[in-house]
Amino acid sequence: MNDSQRAIDVRDVTKTYSLGDVKVEALRGVTFTIARGEYVAIMGPSGSGKSTLMNLLGCLDRPTTGQYFLDGSDVSTLGDDQLAAIRLKKLGFVFQGFNLLPRTSALKNVALPLFYAGIRAKTRNATAADQLREVGLGDRMDHKPSELSGGQQQRVAIARALVNDPAVVLADEPTGNLDSQTSEEIMALFHHLNDGGRTIIMVTHDEDVAGHARRIIRLRDGRIVDDQVTGKG
Amino acid sequence: MRLTQYFAEAFAVLAGNKIRTLLTALGLIIGVMAVIAIQVLGAGMSGAITGILGAFSDRTFFVLPNQQQADFTRAAIRLSDLQRAKYEVPNVVEAIPASAQNLRGSYGHTSRRVSVGAGTDERFAASTPIRYGRKLDPDDITLARHVCVITQKAAVKLRITGDPTGGSLRVGEHRYRIVGVLGASTEGILPGPAAYDVAIPYTTYEREFARARAIVFARVLMDDPSKVTETEIAMQNWLKKVKGGRVEYQTFDRKSFSKAIDGIFGAVTFVVALIGAVSLLVAGIGILNIMLVSVAERTREIGLRKAIGATRFQVLLQFFIEALALSAFGCLVGMLLGVAIGAFVNGQFIVKLSGITAPIPWARSIVIATGFATVVTLAFGTYPAWRAATLDPIEALRYE
Repeated sequence: MNDSQRAIDVRDVTKTYSLGDVKVEALRGVTFTIARGEYVAIMGPSGSGKSTLMNLLGCLDRPTTGQYFLDGSDVSTLGDDQLAAIRLKKLGFVFQGFNLLPRTSALKNVALPLFYAGIRAKTRNATAADQLREVGLGDRMDHKPSELSGGQQQRVAIARALVNDPAVVLADEPTGNLDSQTSEEIMALFHHLNDGGRTIIMVTHDEDVAGHARRIIRLRDGRIVDDQVTGKG
Repeated sequence: MRLTQYFAEAFAVLAGNKIRTLLTALGLIIGVMAVIAIQVLGAGMSGAITGILGAFSDRTFFVLPNQQQADFTRAAIRLSDLQRAKYEVPNVVEAIPASAQNLRGSYGHTSRRVSVGAGTDERFAASTPIRYGRKLDPDDITLARHVCVITQKAAVKLRITGDPTGGSLRVGEHRYRIVGVLGASTEGILPGPAAYDVAIPYTTYEREFARARAIVFARVLMDDPSKVTETEIAMQNWLKKVKGGRVEYQTFDRKSFSKAIDGIFGAVTFVVALIGAVSLLVAGIGILNIMLVSVAERTREIGLRKAIGATRFQVLLQFFIEALALSAFGCLVGMLLGVAIGAFVNGQFIVKLSGITAPIPWARSIVIATGFATVVTLAFGTYPAWRAATLDPIEALRYE
C-alpha cells in the first residue's frame, strides 16, 4: 500500500495527560494505517485509550509524541484553527448522543458544516437535501430533532457527517443510544456507505456492532493488542 | 460566510426563547427609553421656560436684599423707598413691591384658597391677553382702589362662569370689585400680575396686607431696556445710600433668570441621564449573565460546532452577534418607547401648558442612548463570547 492510498497513518503516537502531579499515559505508542475505503472498528475496555485515540484521529487533540498523517498530510503539530479547518474539510463525526441542534430543522442541521465552510445558503440547502435523501430522510427535511425518532436523528447526524464529503467518517458509539432493531438499520447504512467507498472508523465496546466492521483494532492499556480482519466483506 | 447569516441565526435563537429574550432586553429597553425620554423632556422644559421668559418683559428687573449679609433687616425695602426710586434713579420709571400671599377667597357660595398679590398696570406685564373687562389702570394704583383682576385659573377655581366683572370677590377680610379676567397666560412661574390668582393694586396690597412690613422682592420698570446692567447697579447703589451703607442688594433680570434655569435643567438632565446610564450598565450585566447562562446551556452545541470545523473566531462571532442582536432589539424597542413617551409628554403637557414648542434634539438623544447601550453590550457581550470560543471541544462534547 503506498502513501496516497492511506487515509490514516499513525506512527508511534503517545498521549500523556497531567492530572495535577499524576501523569496518565493514555496512549503508549500506537502505530497503524488505515487505507481508503476501509471500515474499521476500534474496541477496548474503558481506560484502554480508545476515546483518546478517537479524539486524536478526529483532530480534536494533538499527540504528545509521534506523528499522525490524515489524508497524506501531517496534522500532529497544527494549531487550533488549522485543526478546525482540517475537521471542516476532511472529517465527519457521528456521536452517540446525535448532537443535533435543537429547534433546528433536519435540513439546517445537515447544512451546518457548509455554513462554516462559507458556502452560499442556496447551495448549502441543495447539498444538504441531497444528503438527507441519501440516508433515506428525503421526506423529513423540515422536521426538528424533537419530531424525529432516535434512528432518524442518527441518520440526520450521519447526513451531516457526510455533507462536506470527508476523507474519513468517525463514529463514536453510534448505536449506543438506539435499540437493537434501529442499530441494525444504522449498521446497514454504514455498510451501504462503505460499499460506496467511504472510509469509516467506529469506536465501540459492543462486539455485535464491531462485528459489522471489516477490521477490528483492539486496545488495552494504551497499546494495540490485536488488529485483525473479520470475515466480513 | 456572511454576517447576515450570523444575524439570522442569532435572531432565530433569540426568537426560540422569547420570554428570556424579553426579560433580558427589558433592562435595556427601560434604560434606553429613560435616557431618551429624559433628554427630550429636559429640552422641552428648558425650552418652554426660556420661552416663557421671553414673554417676561425685558423692561423689568427684580431687586432684593442680598440673603447673605449680617443685618438682613437693615436692608429691608419699604414702599416709601420704592416710590422715591422713580424720581431719584435714572432710567427707572416705576418700582413696585412684588409680593403675594395665600388667603381664603370667596365668590358667591364658593370659597377656595387663592394667591393674592400686588399688581400694577400693564406696563409691567408683557402682553397678557384679557378675557373680560380690563386690566388695572394707573388710577386704581394711585387711588388704591378695592378692585382686582383675576386669572382664568382662579375663575375656574372659584366656579365663576361667564363675565364676573362688577362682581364682588372676598379675600381674607376685604372685598374687591372684579374689573377683569385674564386670558391664558404665558407668564407662568414668574412673580408678576399674571401669576397671581387675584391681583390688586400694589398700593392697596401694601395698605391691607403688607402694612409697614418689609418688602422682600421689588420689581423695577425701566425706560430703556438696553441699559439694564447700569440701571441695576444704580438701583443697588441708590438703595445702599438710602439705607446708610453696609447693606447689600442683588438684582435679577430676564437674562440671569434664564441662565439660572438653564443651569438647573442642565444639572437635572445630567443627573437623571446618569441614572439612566447606570440602569443601562445594570442591563449590560443582565446581558452578561444571560449570555453566560446561554453559553453554559449550549456547551455541547458549542462542542459540536467546533468538532464539525467552526473556528474560534466563528464561535466568538456567533455569540457576540447574539448579544448584539439582543441589544439591537432592546435599543429599538427602548428607542420607540422613549421617543413615544417623550413626544407624548412634551406635546400633551409641556407644550400645552407653556404654549411653547421648543426644539427637541431627537437625533442627539437617540444617538446618546443607543450609543451608550451598544458600548455597554460590546463590553459585556465579549466575555461570554470569548468563553464560548475558547471551550475545549472534547470537554464541551462530554458536558452533560
